[in-house]
Amino acid sequence: MPVFQELPLLGTERINRAYLRISVMAPELAEKCRPGMFFELKAGLPSQTRRLFKPISVFEASEGKISFLIKVVGPGTRALAELKPGEPLLLLGPLGNSFHLVKGQNALLVSGGIGYPPLAWLKRVLEPHNRVILVHGGSCAEDLFPCDRGYTLDGSSGDRGLVTQDIMDIIKTENIDIVYSCGPLPMLKALQACVGDLPHYASLEAYMACGLGACHGCAVPVGEGWQRVCKDGPVFAASLIRWEEL
Amino acid sequence: MNRLATALGRLRLKSPVTVASGTFDTGYFELFDQSALGAYTTKTITLAPKAGNPPPRLYETEAGLLNSIGLQNPGLKAWLNEDLPLLRDLLQIPLIVSFSGSSEDEFLRVLDGLELQEGIAGYEVNVSCPNVAKEGIAFGADPDVVFSLASSLAALTRRELIFKLSPNVTDIAAIAQAAEAGGASSLALINTLYGSAIDWKTGRFRISSFVCGYSGSGIKPVALALCHKVALAVRIPILALGGIHSWQDALEFFWAGASAIALGTAFYSDPLAAVKLRQGLEDFLRENDLSLRDIIGKAR
Repeated sequence: MPVFQELPLLGTERINRAYLRISVMAPELAEKCRPGMFFELKAGLPSQTRRLFKPISVFEASEGKISFLIKVVGPGTRALAELKPGEPLLLLGPLGNSFHLVKGQNALLVSGGIGYPPLAWLKRVLEPHNRVILVHGGSCAEDLFPCDRGYTLDGSSGDRGLVTQDIMDIIKTENIDIVYSCGPLPMLKALQACVGDLPHYASLEAYMACGLGACHGCAVPVGEGWQRVCKDGPVFAASLIRWEEL
Repeated sequence: MNRLATALGRLRLKSPVTVASGTFDTGYFELFDQSALGAYTTKTITLAPKAGNPPPRLYETEAGLLNSIGLQNPGLKAWLNEDLPLLRDLLQIPLIVSFSGSSEDEFLRVLDGLELQEGIAGYEVNVSCPNVAKEGIAFGADPDVVFSLASSLAALTRRELIFKLSPNVTDIAAIAQAAEAGGASSLALINTLYGSAIDWKTGRFRISSFVCGYSGSGIKPVALALCHKVALAVRIPILALGGIHSWQDALEFFWAGASAIALGTAFYSDPLAAVKLRQGLEDFLRENDLSLRDIIGKAR
């Protein structure tokens, strides 16, 4: 059951020009979080009073602390980035489902850009029971985070190119049993085309309003109908998504 | 004494705060108690299921929200079997069912299905849909069509019959008068304005269907003006909506002639907006020793 709370921001940690990590102390909420879940977040500032919440994945929830990776893309995320420790953060959540967890498998985690946080956390959760490889891609060096293999479009860090370009090889050479992903739509589509019959769980990004399943604004074509990213997802079995309609 | 008591035609409401169709569902009652609301209005249902529009369906603008959901709903039969029993069990406030159709016959068939069911206090007739018999022009744009539809529906029910009007017409007062003359017992206004947004870099529309619905704080002045215009033109009560977020916003609409209000987009910037609005209104009325009915339509 999601909770709506206003909490003082515990801290911000600037990672580079484009990204920062913010955190709050919320032991009861942290207890309920699983990799893949998200919160609707908003800076509790007067400028944001009539602005919508933004759906942001949990980066990590441990020892009573919940943290989020923020990339400034518009006024809402800019206000989140400018929030100072002690100032109010509004949170609605935790929302959505979480990644299906496995044991004794070779798991490949693929993330793109701001899709990194849920998979970085998933990696730490899976590692004690599985062999896990995290590959991550972005446009430039600023988009790269700690991973086993990194790619940038401009070649400024890691390998030059798309995160999906070596997936077929990795699946074969590493005997991959299961794939998890989160990132922009073109990346997820390309990935699903490489994955074949392997189980693949994809976490989708979508424009969102309510976060509770009421408005149907984030619906995506899944199975024979439409499912809501906020309530039925954000994690879906990739084989059920009608990718050609996205 | 309940200073907030109000009425929409035959419907007595303990709170003048209701919800805009399609923006809200019972999931919010995990966050606040339903007693903050005077009534619960469903998402619009249609005779046959509707898949809705392709993504993206939403885009936030400088002052509000664009949406193109496409009236996604499971259709009358599934709604009666699955949703209505749950709502009947859960709700302690009046249930208003919003419905629509693409022909007058379709509206009548949905009403027929709903009339057989208990636990429904009223209907909100959504006339913003394209009318297949009139080259797809919205039902709500033609006073003759609205009069005919209201007459046909009013003859079939004794429940509250709310006509929800679109602002995307030349003269909303004429449409309101047609609905009243046909037998509508109250009016809800406004539905969303037309809106659009384009990615200036790529030229792509931000929403899959290029003309979509615009709601939220940016439309409040328009809604307020139209509310007052309609209040001067009809005698039946008005349920006002359009960009209302706060109790101060709501008061403006009561002064302008609304008997009740609905929140929609406001829930997406504050899930507790209804609770705060109701409390703010009650405090204002008590401090000024007023009741809601003392101020409705008294703008000067």
